[in-house]
Amino acid sequence: MTFQHKMAAHCESGTVAALLNHAGLSISEPLVFGISAGIFFGYFESKKFPFPTFVVRNRPGQIRTGVARRTGVRFKERRFRNPEKGERVLDDLLSGGKPVACQTDFFYMKYLPDHVRVHINVHFITVVEKRGDVYVVSDCYSPNLAELDRESLMKARFAGGSFSPRGFIFHPVSIPRRIDYRTAIWKGIASAAFNMVRLPIPFIGVKGIRLFAKKVVDWPSLARDIDHLSHEIMKINIFLEDQGTGGAGFRFMYATFLREASELLNDPDLLEMSKRIMEIGDRWREISLFAARIGKRRDLGPDRLGELSAMIYERADAEERFFNDLLKLSKSKK
Amino acid sequence: MATEGLKKEIKILIMEALNIDDVSPEEVGDDESLFGEGNTLGLDSIDALEIVMALQEKYGVRIDDKNQSRFILKSISTIAEFIEKNRTN
Repeated sequence: MTFQHKMAAHCESGTVAALLNHAGLSISEPLVFGISAGIFFGYFESKKFPFPTFVVRNRPGQIRTGVARRTGVRFKERRFRNPEKGERVLDDLLSGGKPVACQTDFFYMKYLPDHVRVHINVHFITVVEKRGDVYVVSDCYSPNLAELDRESLMKARFAGGSFSPRGFIFHPVSIPRRIDYRTAIWKGIASAAFNMVRLPIPFIGVKGIRLFAKKVVDWPSLARDIDHLSHEIMKINIFLEDQGTGGAGFRFMYATFLREASELLNDPDLLEMSKRIMEIGDRWREISLFAARIGKRRDLGPDRLGELSAMIYERADAEERFFNDLLKLSKSKK
Repeated sequence: MATEGLKKEIKILIMEALNIDDVSPEEVGDDESLFGEGNTLGLDSIDALEIVMALQEKYGVRIDDKNQSRFILKSISTIAEFIEKNRTN
């Protein structure tokens, strides 16, 4: 069967959705994202990081494992210590006609423009086939199927550094005849809501958003100079809007998930929740734009950062109400 | 085919949203690329986000992410076509 290439908002949820569709299960990227409880917030300050940072999605790999656990789909996964073996196993699977997802260093995806390619070790692509020394690749960020030379794919699969891929590959091996979407969706919702409002960790979920709001005003004391500070503040926009979030730090994709879930389960409550998180996303987008503007203008005095902080606190309050209501809803629908 | 009136309206909206006052709407070609150096407007990704929000407010059209926006915001013509298809206001 020919592999249907499709662009997607995010590389991991897009790759999982594409492989499942190829294997005969019709499922959208937002459903994959929502069922796996992909939505998240975490604020991290550590000596390991050069500067505080935040994440708006769950950890890499969790989208695949979450979907598998809640739908009964099974994936075969492998990592390799030996690159030659990693190459051989991939080539064998491809020659058997199986598209395979590979974890890669984004930098080596040469078919994408130079200015977007940075070293990030958790970029997922689907390798569709091998033609001579060239691999045909389906990358969610590329409008068409692309070609990647063998050397680049090997470098990308066996890049060093944090989250190094170690040749990680996966592909679906079994799809259940019937999937209980009602249970899968509500379990995914309950898990995401729990992470956002119940997890007793001070830097995760709504607590993490509040910590971000509190700490962002201190960022000037951590930055080397105004250029560095401006760069870090503008990264807020990049983390929320670029890097395959689907816009507003995955909040829009989660809204699409809730809308699709509402249609699938014929549940109007989910449609209402979808509208609410869409509005929450719109306000996150205002934060993106505000951060980008003040960063670009280097207008980063205490007043401006105070305004930014207030906007983030307001998002924490809105998400606390939203995810508490969602958690209550998930309990009542069990 | 999008109307000339709509295209002019979009040009004015973009100029206002981005506070551009040294270029007149007539100077921007309908099919000219809006982004990058060497074009009349030479916009960047932050400008793109401003335009996305302005279009949403005025026409009720949503553009959620970059995969969409990089095709829709190619030129005034592509924006106008998208609005004609999707507008709610």
